[in-house]
Amino acid sequence: MSTALIRTTGLTKRYPGGVTALDGLTVEIGEGVVGLVGANGAGKSTLIKILLGLLPQTDGNATVLDLDTATQGARIRELVGYMPEHDCLPPDVSATEFVSHMARVSGLPAGAARERTADVLRHVGLYEERYRQIGGYSTGMKQRVKLAQALVHDPRILFADEPTNGLDPAGRDEMLGLIERIGRDFGITTIVASHLLGEIERIATWLVAIDAGRLLRTAPLASFTERTGQLLVETDDDAAPLAERLAAGGFTASADGRLAIIELADAPGDEHAVYDAVRDAAVAMDVALVRIEHRRHQLEDLFRDGTDDRAA
Amino acid sequence: MTAPPDAASGTIYDIGYRHYTGPRLGRRGAITAVIGSALRAAFGLGRSGRSKIIPWGAVILAVLPAFVAIAVRVLAGEILEVTTYETYLWDIGSLLPIFLAAQAPELVVNDIRHHVLPLYFSRPMSRLDYVGAKLAALSLAMLALTLAPVLLLFAGKVLAAQDVVGALGDEIGSLPGIVGNGVMHAVVLAAIGLAISCLAGRRAYAAGAVLALFLIGGVIGAILSEVGGTLADIAPFTNPLTILDGAREWLFGGSAPESPVGVSNVPLPIYGLATLLMLALSSAILFVRYRRITA
Repeated sequence: MSTALIRTTGLTKRYPGGVTALDGLTVEIGEGVVGLVGANGAGKSTLIKILLGLLPQTDGNATVLDLDTATQGARIRELVGYMPEHDCLPPDVSATEFVSHMARVSGLPAGAARERTADVLRHVGLYEERYRQIGGYSTGMKQRVKLAQALVHDPRILFADEPTNGLDPAGRDEMLGLIERIGRDFGITTIVASHLLGEIERIATWLVAIDAGRLLRTAPLASFTERTGQLLVETDDDAAPLAERLAAGGFTASADGRLAIIELADAPGDEHAVYDAVRDAAVAMDVALVRIEHRRHQLEDLFRDGTDDRAA
Repeated sequence: MTAPPDAASGTIYDIGYRHYTGPRLGRRGAITAVIGSALRAAFGLGRSGRSKIIPWGAVILAVLPAFVAIAVRVLAGEILEVTTYETYLWDIGSLLPIFLAAQAPELVVNDIRHHVLPLYFSRPMSRLDYVGAKLAALSLAMLALTLAPVLLLFAGKVLAAQDVVGALGDEIGSLPGIVGNGVMHAVVLAAIGLAISCLAGRRAYAAGAVLALFLIGGVIGAILSEVGGTLADIAPFTNPLTILDGAREWLFGGSAPESPVGVSNVPLPIYGLATLLMLALSSAILFVRYRRITA
């Protein structure tokens, strides 16, 4: 993350009525596919709308492509694309007409708008059906049109708010694949807001996690799921006796249902000694092992209240 | 002149994603695009044949009196005056609400109903730009009824005369009134039509509400006018078209014989004031409505 495309400092948004959607958010976002994760109501959509210059912040400031959202919103909106979360398509026009109109509203001349509409609809996978009225489209096709209108003017940054909303599993896979391609192959930095960590995990290169309007963590995706330094041993029965036996052998081990958890850092000897000890204990106690693996941080851990798993 | 082998076999290459390096017209381009598409919508262009019936029917019926007047003039000379510049819009009066009721909702209702506005507002245009573009487009469209036919009548009167130059000299004095009145009608009616439409959830409701305002207002005005006395004084103010006719009379002179304005004793400048009020109220409704729509 060398150059930040988006910067916010102490960004705060309080709605009339006292709801605080963003609470002193300070974050820098660079290139790539950036996952903006948080539970529903965490402030993801509010953040996107402020970055688009659609919503004034209560306090703090934000820049997109070094342009101030409060004063240079129109210039920003020329250079970014926005795929909203909700339905936003008129039913009585064709995808071609609609996307090409939106291209012109983005400032493209008529000829360029037509050309890019054809290109972009092909990229999102709409072919012959693009001449039919949008009202007759499936949810998946509508999501593609929403994506196409956000891409048609070749933005520098694409904001996609819950792009897999309402899609079936196959549709989700296709939409995520498309977004990954846009970020990686098209070179358009894509900010994907989602409450589904599993989806973000698959395509994002960088993660910004927010909760109750505050920044929880921002880091490359890999660091969210790094090894914890614990070995997980799953057995086909209660793992407590196994853990006790290992503890008796000098290991720091505990049991959680059918899982035995062994701290590798405290173990006498190297990792192979631990594996040997587990094998010997299992043989001696006639316990069947299901799997042995390094425990990794789960994205879900981010949102667990208070407790830090690494300390466990 | 042999084509390269690839071209002959018609191979299609996936050239991948291409970036756009051409001009970006920004806010001006956005506003132009919205005006253009709204103008097309106002005349049902690029849509089914059915959606062209009302706008084009209204335009044809609106120019018909001008053609008849010109024909009569050519055949009968100046003995018979079918219609005048001053009374023209009053004579085709009912066509204006019909066009407005059918077309104003086309411009704004679907964008609100189907939540398309965030897509506009996330582009280089403001809410005010959007409303202004729609108002400009509908005003331009209304000119097809409020200005074009009267200009046609003007051109006909001049060209049908024996002495074209002399006729031009006679008629040219009416031109500012023709244009001024046409523009006034177009802008005020467009603002009223859009203000009502932006409050309605569906196009049919919006159309009904616009028609109701003019028809019910017109009927009440006619009744009050018949009753006479104080009621006849306020009769013109029940219908936007009568108010506009009064403002026209104040600004450009000449009264329409059947208009309740003639029966009323209210001084003419009041009509001008009422016209401004209608425009202000409609603009305020549009402004507040679009500011409140969450993006």
